Amino acid sequence: MSIVPENLHYLDSHEWAHVSADEPGIATVGISSFAVEQLTDLVFMALPKVGQEVTAGHEFGEVESVKAVSPMYSPVSGTVVGVHEELVNRLDSLNQDPYGNGWIMKVKMSDPSELTKLLDWPTYKHQCENS
Amino acid sequence: MEVRSAERGVVLITPPFQGTTNMEIDEALLAGATPDSPVVLRIYRWREPTLSLGHFQVVEDRGEVPGLGDVACVRRKTGGGAILHDRELTYSLIIPARSAAEKGHSEKLYRSVHNAIAKGLQSMGWDAVLSETCTCSTASNPKLEPFLCFSRRSPVDLIVEQNKVLGSAQRRTKFGLLQHGSLLLRRSILTPSLPGLLDLPNGNQANLEDRSPSVGTLQTQDETEVWTKHLVFWLKLGVSQVLQCGWQPATMADFPTLEDMKAY
Repeated sequence: MSIVPENLHYLDSHEWAHVSADEPGIATVGISSFAVEQLTDLVFMALPKVGQEVTAGHEFGEVESVKAVSPMYSPVSGTVVGVHEELVNRLDSLNQDPYGNGWIMKVKMSDPSELTKLLDWPTYKHQCENS
Repeated sequence: MEVRSAERGVVLITPPFQGTTNMEIDEALLAGATPDSPVVLRIYRWREPTLSLGHFQVVEDRGEVPGLGDVACVRRKTGGGAILHDRELTYSLIIPARSAAEKGHSEKLYRSVHNAIAKGLQSMGWDAVLSETCTCSTASNPKLEPFLCFSRRSPVDLIVEQNKVLGSAQRRTKFGLLQHGSLLLRRSILTPSLPGLLDLPNGNQANLEDRSPSVGTLQTQDETEVWTKHLVFWLKLGVSQVLQCGWQPATMADFPTLEDMKAY
């Protein structure tokens, strides 16, 4: 899987969504390198469950760092069809690769048009640089 | 978190409620925060000794500490270790979000609050310092941690005579940031290995009378009331390093999200 930040859709809360041409109705979701950097030392991640319904802009999971618990928000609505279970035991891998091997869940989208409401890379990058 | 310009701040001191109510109040204050909401500084105690678990802790692990199996138990929205709320003061700070882009913890708020309290204790004669050591289990360095928060060490914890007397933790949502913490005043019989501030050298009443900071006229010398005033004073100082706040007193009636909250 080749996922690069320039091709992703973003929430302003730093979650990303990627749709592959091979699976047009499925969004792969993760958190950006900016989020990983802000979260610092990760301790635990609470993942959603396969079959769980998620709603765009609403919490789908949580991540704990040494000092804080932060929610993760879903960029899209739909049904969770895949969860990266191994990630919980390899959270440090997010530091190296939050976009490829750092994916968190796959969502079968109920409304793909929601992707158009997300930030593109230039807009998201600009937000990060000015925050 | 950059220093923000003038904000409204309110000081809310609530009665000793049951643990579930105390947690519901903090959560409601955070969930109800809007960009126009004031910063809330809350001080509270607990109606009975209560164990608050860190958000992801396993309740069965309390069996690691003898005597805690039958204690009332709640779960915090913040992480970290379990805290026995008995002879202590709990504070919470709710900072409304100005942007959904704020992520992770606020190191600046954490450090400035703990620094202010450390300096306050130093002025009263305690050798209070901020910890730079860490027993933290992280993804890159997993290890077994003690169940209780005050048996752990993480950077910026407040230490007196090598004993942790103040720990804090945060939770970030799209509505804002909650930081809450516990100032351990006296040893609990349920956790005898954890001394409180007033059990440690320089913690006697004579020192309190001699070294009380200027916080206005004290109504009584009741220990809880005295230390509530100290803590409010220091928390305001700490917050002022991050936010310029004008502070007013408040009651639960001032918050619509707390209207249905009952005192158990």
